[in-house]
Amino acid sequence: MKTSLRLLPLLLLFVLCGCYRILPSNGGGQGSIRTEARPINPDDIALPAGYSAEAVATGLTFPTAVAFDEQGRLHVLEAGYSYGEVFLEPKLLRVEPGGSLTTVATGIKNGPWTGVTFHNGNFYVAEGGEMLGGKILRISPDGNITSLIEDLPTMGDHHTNGPVIGADGMLYFSLGTATNSGVVGPDNYDYGWLERYPDFHDIPCQDIVLVGRNYTSNLPPEPKSEEHVTGAYSPYGAATTPGQVIEGRIPCSGAVLRMLPEGGAPPELVAWGFRNPFGLAFSPAGQLYVSDNGYDVRGSRPVWGTGDYLWEVEQGQWYGWPDYSGGLAFNGDRFAPPGEEPPQPILAQHPNKPPKPVATLGVHSSSNGLDFSRSDAFGFKGQVFVAQFGDLAPGVGKVLAPVGYKVLRVDVESGVVTEFAANEGKIVAPASKLKNGGFERPISVKFSPDGESLYVVDFGIMETGEGEDINPVVKTGVIWKITKTKPSL
Amino acid sequence: MKRCFLLSVGFFLLLMLSYCGTARRGVPMFDPVDIENQAVAQGEKVYMSYCQKCHPGGEAGLGPAINNKPLPGAMIKFQVRNGLGMMPAFKEEVIPDEELDNMVAYLKTLRKAKEE
Repeated sequence: MKTSLRLLPLLLLFVLCGCYRILPSNGGGQGSIRTEARPINPDDIALPAGYSAEAVATGLTFPTAVAFDEQGRLHVLEAGYSYGEVFLEPKLLRVEPGGSLTTVATGIKNGPWTGVTFHNGNFYVAEGGEMLGGKILRISPDGNITSLIEDLPTMGDHHTNGPVIGADGMLYFSLGTATNSGVVGPDNYDYGWLERYPDFHDIPCQDIVLVGRNYTSNLPPEPKSEEHVTGAYSPYGAATTPGQVIEGRIPCSGAVLRMLPEGGAPPELVAWGFRNPFGLAFSPAGQLYVSDNGYDVRGSRPVWGTGDYLWEVEQGQWYGWPDYSGGLAFNGDRFAPPGEEPPQPILAQHPNKPPKPVATLGVHSSSNGLDFSRSDAFGFKGQVFVAQFGDLAPGVGKVLAPVGYKVLRVDVESGVVTEFAANEGKIVAPASKLKNGGFERPISVKFSPDGESLYVVDFGIMETGEGEDINPVVKTGVIWKITKTKPSL
Repeated sequence: MKRCFLLSVGFFLLLMLSYCGTARRGVPMFDPVDIENQAVAQGEKVYMSYCQKCHPGGEAGLGPAINNKPLPGAMIKFQVRNGLGMMPAFKEEVIPDEELDNMVAYLKTLRKAKEE
């Protein structure tokens, strides 16, 4: 018996150890993905007892967010841009009863339009700015577009997001970072923007002092001998020195900002040190929360094993990017990709010790849009619902199984995360992988004005090939409506 | 010796077979996890802080699934304390013994959740 007990750990080691390195990546967009059609079947979505789903709009191209006007009519954004370098005209569409779509406004090819809110008779839209820089737009119900602020520094990996209106009447929005972890590299060339903007890089919100660590790389078409040395917060090919000060300014990268809804004044900093704060929502108590997409295993400074996070936003705080993840410092020991060195800090001093996240979400889950339940009629009042777009493996890093592709609810007091809606099946994965008619990639959630229904914006099919190869499929986006049909037992 | 070998092979086969079963547990596809027990409720919070990001809901993600592995509690604790492969070790100063006990209690409860 003693021998068998000795053998058991060995067998376990055989099965579990080394698995990660030898097993191939199995992301939700990888493998056999159905791209030619998108059947719709709400019954393929597993929901808690007493809830039901229906599709209220289909055939959308890269939808990202919904809002309701003062008459309670549903409107949806089509992003006009997707990873994979697909540039289209972004649109604000009204969803008519029966599901037909009426175009309210059409933007220019500077998407993605990532978020929308309706306030005092107008729509407010975050224009991502992949081509010309980010903007916050005001769109009147008859389709007139006014730019309230322009030239936001979001032509890189991540975009201008939001907006939401606070109890103070201010408009809150967020800016994602240019890069994965502070250093411009070959991954940014693969994304497409480095060729368009060779001098673009991350911008701190206040003055920072660098360690002076530099990274050597070459761009994919170049011979290996053409190496470039690049430092943090600097253009590609620009080295940095120990003690070098990078001047902060606003607007900046990885930040939440606020401005007057009527524009006319520069934005104010709310908080920074985020990576891609995509989802913003105020709780019923008026507290701002953001979802933040964690680091990827890519580029000159890859970071492994960092989750997405839900943060409670405190005025003036720095939340840790690019030297922390989830409140844990890059101490030269953690977050090393398999077979590589762990990431080292790039800031000589940190603005503050980052707080702990409210909730920790799946690595590469791409946890995005948020909304709080405010109604007993729907249930889970006070909890925040989170749409998970799902992994973009293998480009962002390897996963052993699809991550995300669902709607979660989070108790912000305890940090406990519970699955609310996800496809039926042995694993959670997009419908195009499971070959069913359920969710593809939920990107945002929004409760109806009466709080009784949850609308889930489903971006549609996105296939991921080797490296950064991404293939989004037009006209496969869906808006789902989830309603409680039976009272709780 | 033969008995030991057979036992080990049997355990190994059981482990391999477990990969065939779903690791999904809890709502919406399974019964809710019973967190009436205070230790289980506290263990759930520990799990959310340290394990959830790589094993969301006990399923596979960045790391392998946990819910469908018949690992005894002692083995789970050993793995948490010592790490395995790419999984980092979580020492007592990060997860105190009592919290680890509660986390294992939560995992066992989660693993037993019945399909609705």
